[in-house]
Amino acid sequence: MVPTPFAIFIASTLIILSVFGAVALSTRRARDVDYAKANRLRLVALASLGAVLVMFLALTLPHLPYAADARSPDHIIHAVGKQYAWSLTEHVGPTLETWDSSFSPTVTVPVGAPIEFRVTTLDVNHGFSLYAPDGHLIAQVQAMPGYLNRLRVTFDQPGTYTVLCLEFCGMSHHRMRGVVEAR
Amino acid sequence: MTEVADVDRYTARLVKVTITWVLTALVLFPVLALLGFLMRALQAGYMPSVPPEWFYAIMTLHGLGMVGLWFVAGMAGISVLLARYVRPTIGVSWIAFAATLAGVGLLLAATLGGRLGVGWYFLYPLPFHSGGTWPAWATAFLFAALAIMGIGWTIWAGDLLWAIARRYRLSDALGWQYLRGSGTPDVPPIVIISTVSFIGVLAGLVAAVVVLALVAAEQLTIGFTNDALLIKNLTFYFGHMLVNITMYFGVAMVYEIMPAYTGRPWKSNALVAASWNLVALLVMFAYLHHLYMDFAQPQWLQVTGQLASYLISVPAAVVTIFSTLVLVHGSSMRWRLPSVMLYLGVMGWAIGGVAAVIDSTVMVNSRFHNTLWVPAHFHTYYIMGVVLMILGTVFHLTTELSKISERTVSTRAIVAAVGVGGYGFLLTFYLAGVAGVPRRFASYPAETAQGILYAKISLVFIALLLGGALVYIWETGRRCARSLAS
Repeated sequence: MVPTPFAIFIASTLIILSVFGAVALSTRRARDVDYAKANRLRLVALASLGAVLVMFLALTLPHLPYAADARSPDHIIHAVGKQYAWSLTEHVGPTLETWDSSFSPTVTVPVGAPIEFRVTTLDVNHGFSLYAPDGHLIAQVQAMPGYLNRLRVTFDQPGTYTVLCLEFCGMSHHRMRGVVEAR
Repeated sequence: MTEVADVDRYTARLVKVTITWVLTALVLFPVLALLGFLMRALQAGYMPSVPPEWFYAIMTLHGLGMVGLWFVAGMAGISVLLARYVRPTIGVSWIAFAATLAGVGLLLAATLGGRLGVGWYFLYPLPFHSGGTWPAWATAFLFAALAIMGIGWTIWAGDLLWAIARRYRLSDALGWQYLRGSGTPDVPPIVIISTVSFIGVLAGLVAAVVVLALVAAEQLTIGFTNDALLIKNLTFYFGHMLVNITMYFGVAMVYEIMPAYTGRPWKSNALVAASWNLVALLVMFAYLHHLYMDFAQPQWLQVTGQLASYLISVPAAVVTIFSTLVLVHGSSMRWRLPSVMLYLGVMGWAIGGVAAVIDSTVMVNSRFHNTLWVPAHFHTYYIMGVVLMILGTVFHLTTELSKISERTVSTRAIVAAVGVGGYGFLLTFYLAGVAGVPRRFASYPAETAQGILYAKISLVFIALLLGGALVYIWETGRRCARSLAS
């Protein structure tokens, strides 16, 4: 299935191409410009664009990915990034001193229950992203030094979800990974 | 007589510095584009023996180089067009040129010599965490390059703003007389857009200075650690401003040059003034969409980011794009390479703008952030937008100066190769972005292996695009040489 944003993009692009094409072709027969008509059309364009933007704001703003409920879910996973690995643990994540002894690249979570990932980093910015078993990106949040970002996800399907880094972090950025097993 | 001779001398010096900028851009553009081709070839898996640190060093040079190149090309183009109305100081343009050359030299040394791989926005604190890949001097070279170029560009923007201020009051240069209903004095659109843009440049560079100062303070002061979220806000404020201002330069060129081909004037009015003053305000907040995935950022700022990003599309679409269509519709348009490039540039700006607005929706950004959708949309409004506007303007100016007439076969070859190559290449980015393929990966892991196929397909289109660019460079190079000789 074609994702909605891409379908909107392709439809908009085709409209833009058609309009620019039609206007370019109109120059084959020169005529005077009717500015009054153009200004009326501009008002229609303004109203249409305004309506579309307001509609999309109304449709999308209620679905912000930020946790609205102050209460944390029962299942909490601590995700800590460090060049070039993810530590995923149910207990509080490692520090620079305890990294080697308490780091774990794999964690298991229950299917169907809300999970809160508490994401941070010990060095540079990283991007905590979850890829479904079919390779699609399902959620992401940045890991930033000195901050704890909370990402809530419910895994509807069991399987092996891959954690990749989506914020460029250095030489082995593309190799930085973790695993979330949903069972 | 003396005054005429003075004007002639000034014009000759202006032509010389402009042609120098153009020739520099014509050399850097294909080299930096070739680096882009090389990156996609590495992602396609064609050169597995090349270590990833080289990919990231090349990526940094390509990104910083292209952003800087089109900014200075835009500044140089605007300078020469503004000289029709005001008198910029030519010596300052040479100072900016020297600063740019010094910066480019330092960046070349840092990336190719030191393998510095930090990306074009060098997100703090990555430059100080090389993981053994690049030496400390490469980081020092990066910040020295940014400081030198920043100083040069600040002086340049300040001088251009001063040149405008010597002829117009600031309120008139911003077009407020149209908003008051008087319309006097009449100010060409390029002056209004340039004034807005130069103020934006200076505002952006202030943020860059603060970043450099804070980073320097951390390095020099024991126990002081910067707030990563603050630095990220400042960095994206600066970066987003620089990229957007470059686009505004391109649009200003369209306002100035297009009437020469349509035979219809493009005058300032209340709508033009209102739209560009609105842009000046909104561009300061639109950068917030870069931080949607930083959940620690206050939520009202995230919502502000989406509102500003949506709203800023209104003046662009309803004023500039719509007015371009009205200007061209049913006109006695002379379709030459410059007018085709300007027209296609506005179209590419519109298409890239739609993709950008889609990505500026927080809900969508959760799926598209830092996937290949991001380079897809900014390459659209760069390559198929502002770059076409700037290159069209350069071709217009050098054709006027050299009196070399246009060759239809070259024009057709350039338009076909750039059009098909450009949009074909971009489509591979968009499709990969929708599939969730990450940007900035030296190679793709199994989960995002479809990125390899898209990278392979993109090479064909990039080669075509490069072919078109080379024909353009040859044609424009001939015109530059003739212009200098005469």
